[in-house]
Amino acid sequence: MINEKDQITTIQVAVIVVNAMLGSGILTLPRSSATLVQTPDVWISVLLGGLLAMIAGVVMAVLAKRYPGQTVFQFNGRILGKWIGALVSLMFVVYFFMTAAYQVRIVTEVTSLFLLEGTPNWAIIMVFMWVSLYLMTGGINPIARLFEMILPVTILIYLLVMLMALNIVEVNNLRPVLGDGIAPVWKGIKSTALSFLGVETILILTAFMKRSEQAVKAVVYGVAVPMALYLITVVVVIGALSVDGVVTRTWPTLDLIRSFEYTGLIFERFESLFLVIWIMQIYSTYTISFYAAALGLAQLFNRPVAQCLYGLLPIVFIISVTPKDLTACFAFGDLLGQSSAFIFGLIPFFLLLITRVRKGKSG
Amino acid sequence: MINLNGSLAINLDRLRPLTEPYADMVIREFALGSSGVAAAIVFVTPLADRDLIEQHIMRPLMSISAGPSEVTKHYLQNRVLAVSQLSVTDTAEQLLSKVLTGCTAILVDGMTEAFLIGTTTSKTRSIEEPISEALVRGPRAGFNESLSDNVSLLRSQGENPGLSLIKLQVGKQAKKSLIIAYMMDIANPELVAEVRRRVEKINIDNVAESGYVEQLIEDHYLSPFPQVQSTERPDRVMGALMEGRVAILLDGTPFALIAPVTFSMLLQSPEDYYDRWIAGTLLRMLRFLAAFVSLLAPALYVSFISFHPGLIPTKLAITIVGARVGVPFSSLVEALIMEVSIEILREAGLRLPKPIGPAMGIVGGLIIGEAAVQAGIVSPILVIVVAVTAISSFAIPQYNAGISLRMLRFVAMFCAAMFGMYGVILFVLFLCAHLVKLKSFGVPYASPAVPYRPGDWKDFFVRAPLSMMRTRPKLLGSKNKKRQGNESR
Repeated sequence: MINEKDQITTIQVAVIVVNAMLGSGILTLPRSSATLVQTPDVWISVLLGGLLAMIAGVVMAVLAKRYPGQTVFQFNGRILGKWIGALVSLMFVVYFFMTAAYQVRIVTEVTSLFLLEGTPNWAIIMVFMWVSLYLMTGGINPIARLFEMILPVTILIYLLVMLMALNIVEVNNLRPVLGDGIAPVWKGIKSTALSFLGVETILILTAFMKRSEQAVKAVVYGVAVPMALYLITVVVVIGALSVDGVVTRTWPTLDLIRSFEYTGLIFERFESLFLVIWIMQIYSTYTISFYAAALGLAQLFNRPVAQCLYGLLPIVFIISVTPKDLTACFAFGDLLGQSSAFIFGLIPFFLLLITRVRKGKSG
Repeated sequence: MINLNGSLAINLDRLRPLTEPYADMVIREFALGSSGVAAAIVFVTPLADRDLIEQHIMRPLMSISAGPSEVTKHYLQNRVLAVSQLSVTDTAEQLLSKVLTGCTAILVDGMTEAFLIGTTTSKTRSIEEPISEALVRGPRAGFNESLSDNVSLLRSQGENPGLSLIKLQVGKQAKKSLIIAYMMDIANPELVAEVRRRVEKINIDNVAESGYVEQLIEDHYLSPFPQVQSTERPDRVMGALMEGRVAILLDGTPFALIAPVTFSMLLQSPEDYYDRWIAGTLLRMLRFLAAFVSLLAPALYVSFISFHPGLIPTKLAITIVGARVGVPFSSLVEALIMEVSIEILREAGLRLPKPIGPAMGIVGGLIIGEAAVQAGIVSPILVIVVAVTAISSFAIPQYNAGISLRMLRFVAMFCAAMFGMYGVILFVLFLCAHLVKLKSFGVPYASPAVPYRPGDWKDFFVRAPLSMMRTRPKLLGSKNKKRQGNESR
């Protein structure tokens, strides 16, 4: 059970969900979705993908709040029986630390490309992991508080940078709306929905909530904020670079920010500011995924969380350095995304169904 | 344990060997006026008030006109000794230990008990303006080294029956009085109990200064941040008490302690409240900016110069690189040289006699800085960065908070030298992680920023108009939440 000191408020849960979602998606979403859609209607895909994520989130929240004070790793066993439950939980754990590894790899790629040419990857990864480990040893409460610190800074700087980019947005790049009908939009949903990954943390966070009955509220707010930010991102990025321009760039959002200058300010280029908040966001996504994985292991095998935190460290490190190059890394990310659609799209739904049916029977 | 005997002669014979180690102890024998009963007083010379002893103890005793049979304990207590602090003892040990604190003991032939009269005088400084926390507007009085003066400074800030004082003794060898002050009807009783518990746990031979108390009751001794606030200003203590915090005053030091404290409180000054709110708010924001500059400016310089010259405006980058052409060191070494020398300069400036201090500042700051640039050891831009950093760290109203930032600045510089901007970001994340984990007496150190407490944000970055600050900070769990009635204004 969760002791009282470890509880967090509804706002904190919403903030964690937002931070878990905002991550690598900001940089890559315009490209990955535009590649699939091929028309400027990406923003509709983002909207629909967000709604889909919200529905999935609500399903998970409804499920999780049926077992107040218990994480998904614990109530899996109660719904599915000990062994199958443990197997599913293990799947979740693997997913979470894979995500953590992916995030830390992405931050390394971007950092070595834009900030630190020549610094070895292992050094970049290691300091990142240590700083995160220091936070995680404090438990969920410090994590929540740090995320609360990061989020307003992120939103403020992000909106500022996007506002500056408005100068080079051309409305024509966003037209025509639904020129090829609705079909391309559907294709895009696959990619946009995945950029809302992170919503699954609600399965764990509900256990820590002071008022777990508000889980649905937290998840709805939690999805709404990234949805708004993603919408702004795709509109501004595609508006400025056009669909064709976006498809050919690896990091379209960063390229956009590098493409304008304001002379006379302290910074003429704003990618440094943007990278600051982006690294912070990746840090938060990584931290919560890693913590979820460690917590899952701890609860599955009845070990102290601290042990699992240290134990996972080398594993995540090795996974993160495994992909050979950026292409392999993105492939790894796609794989993660697809498996997540199954893990967090379908399993919670079935779990909820089972509990409903059982309740119907016993009632 | 030596009990006092009925005979004065025997008592004095027993006392004399005990007083041998104390050269300053005086035993004076005399007779109680016309009754002829023998008596003696024991005191230590400069500590006990001679005037009081002569005028109000010896004079009335020596002019007793009653007969020997009438001279009883009761008679002396009620008719003769015109003093307010009086107690009795029947053991020699207690008598001696009391006398050593400045009391005067009176032994009378035929009595098995001795009178102890409070005659302690202390030589204290008069009440002066606090040096380390000078304000433009606000009371000029600061605490001094006398506990009773300090308590009376608190008491004199308005008639206030809510101000309660718990008196304790700390120090095993040298016992010192310590007072825990709080507002009976405001402070959270759990907080008061916790402070008291921690103070009572102090088990050390001598508590030399309130810094000892601070270090012995703080939550995390490994943290670079002060977790107890120290101040010389009675108005600051009073303001803290009114918020529901607890103050600790120690005898012999002008520094009072206030607990709990949060990071944002360390950047507040009483002046924020005395000035009008717009000025108060702007000054407060300026201080947050100063804290930021003081912590990160040299680190950002190092990371921009060594790793990302492309991120600063091109013209500036060219200027900086041009100025650095002759500099033989890496930017880290260059920054370290200047930072360390300015820290030495500051430390030296503290020790120097007052008239020399400013001269030293000019010699050190201006001449060395100028010469270092001309000699090509450092670049002029760096001199600007270092100077701005140093000035910023002076803008932080709490000296010990300034020290934390000064220490962390060097850590930030090393991070920047290793990983550039990435290192600085991770350093900031690490620092934030530390701040959110830190607690001072159960209060999160990073509050009221996080966890979100919008109710307390009226007194955070912004100092809201007084008419809007109707409630006390919620983070302290104060009993009495209202600060103002709704009708005021």
